[in-house]
Amino acid sequence: MTFTSLEFIGFLPLCFLLYWYVFKKNAGMQNVFLVVASLVFYAWSSLFFLALLIFSAIFNFYLGIGIFSARNQNRKRLFLWLGVLINLLPLLCFKYFIPFFTSGPGFFGDVFAGGLMLPLGISFYTFQMLGYIIDIYNEEIEAEKNILPFAVYVCFFPKIIAGPIEPAQDFLPQVKVKRVFNYDLAVEGLRQIIWGLFVKIVIANNCASLAGPLFSNYMKFNGSTLFLGAFLYLFQVYCDFSGYSNIAVGVSKLFGIRLMRNFSAPFFSTNISEYWRKWHISLTLWMVKYIFTPLSFLLRKYKKAGLIISILVTFLLVGLWHGANWTFIVFGALHGLYFIPLLIFGKRRSLFTKGESGFSFNRILKMIALFLIVMLTCIFFGSDTLSHSLGYLEKIFSPSIFSPLQFSKPDKVKAFIMVGFICCLLIVEWLQQNRKYELQLDAIKNPYLRRSIYYALVLAILFFGSVNHIEFIYAHF
Amino acid sequence: MEKNEIIERAKKVIAGVLKHEVKWEDSLTAADIDGWDSLSHMIIISEVEEEFGIKFKLKELNKLDRLGSLIDLIQSKVL
Repeated sequence: MTFTSLEFIGFLPLCFLLYWYVFKKNAGMQNVFLVVASLVFYAWSSLFFLALLIFSAIFNFYLGIGIFSARNQNRKRLFLWLGVLINLLPLLCFKYFIPFFTSGPGFFGDVFAGGLMLPLGISFYTFQMLGYIIDIYNEEIEAEKNILPFAVYVCFFPKIIAGPIEPAQDFLPQVKVKRVFNYDLAVEGLRQIIWGLFVKIVIANNCASLAGPLFSNYMKFNGSTLFLGAFLYLFQVYCDFSGYSNIAVGVSKLFGIRLMRNFSAPFFSTNISEYWRKWHISLTLWMVKYIFTPLSFLLRKYKKAGLIISILVTFLLVGLWHGANWTFIVFGALHGLYFIPLLIFGKRRSLFTKGESGFSFNRILKMIALFLIVMLTCIFFGSDTLSHSLGYLEKIFSPSIFSPLQFSKPDKVKAFIMVGFICCLLIVEWLQQNRKYELQLDAIKNPYLRRSIYYALVLAILFFGSVNHIEFIYAHF
Repeated sequence: MEKNEIIERAKKVIAGVLKHEVKWEDSLTAADIDGWDSLSHMIIISEVEEEFGIKFKLKELNKLDRLGSLIDLIQSKVL
């Protein structure tokens, strides 16, 4: 079951009604309901791996208590490393070892064919659990003593498939108390769901149907078509994942629980550091806290060289986190490399800047340059092999970049409409940069105008939405 | 060492890294200071360690939540 499936259209209202009308008595009942609903949601898509999720919840619950109550530092450290190992083992097996050993023909290749063997959401809940036990070890949080709120933290269905990777200190306090229905929060949630559905079903799915064939048969197309394909693919990935994240945050708000924002208009960034603070924010924060900071602390006496090594390692892991493919590793490594000029040549003040604001020619130029770099790097992300990515790039950087587009007439019209929708998306994001979410329209005082915008989005979903590519890309990570 | 002396020396170190003066308030957090982010953080920490001839533990750094707590930590180590 995904957020855009027919089953979910029945599942969500049913859960909403049961939660607020039947199981509303106290926090315990609310949590029992959320755990059961989440397990049903998970089992619907991935019954085979439900046991692994339940094991992860129970194991980390007791491990957290073990680390917290261990009498001495050595014992704490032992529990921590044991926990890290046991949490990483299924992730390494299912995501890296099995695909590696089954890439060729043979028994395992047949059994595990089709990528069916990746437990749903494993990369997300594993990282969340690692963060939890490391925070207990570092005495930043206490271990949760009640298994019910903890089980909600691990299994909560809006975030189980693809995050956000939520820190325990933000999530647990919300589910340890009784939640009271908050109309404004629920409406906020609905707005985010509408926006998420719009960008996923209208932009991401249509871009996928245009960009997909270009990536599969890049050798048949000229540079200009492939350039547009790369542009559409970047927006496919962005709208797919930011759309998912908006729906996740929105659905969660319907149950009175706030999740962190995962994207914040990344394409208006003027440097790579700012970009990563706005793209997949929960993963960036996790990587900074648990990989980059400890590593740069260890290497701090080497000053900038230490920082460069720490960044490269962090981004190699960001790439590897996406899967066992050289394309992801190169994708991560390139993003790491883009930080180096910033670290070596940038003036200190601008080097560490939070990014520019306002509307200036200089800022627009930097934004476009960064966008192009990110877009071309995303070709590695979307390709099956390295040679495929390099072949794609080679064609873009050939004289055929100046040739007319090789789209069929219907595809040309579709591409034109998609570019129009992407422009609308960028205008909304630009205007709403400093808001909590894209459809926070409280600056528009006229209620009819606000409602017209919501209806326009719903109509766009109905008329331009595509039900192909209904799966979310990050559900496979 | 007096707290005021620590603040003055720390201010100089931070200004050296960020290339601008910080208007000091104990309650300021890194997010309030222009340029103090995860990239510049360890350079500042390393410069502070050298300035005061001390060594921090990562656990101690994770608990720092404002400039005042950095000064308290330095003071506890230079005593």
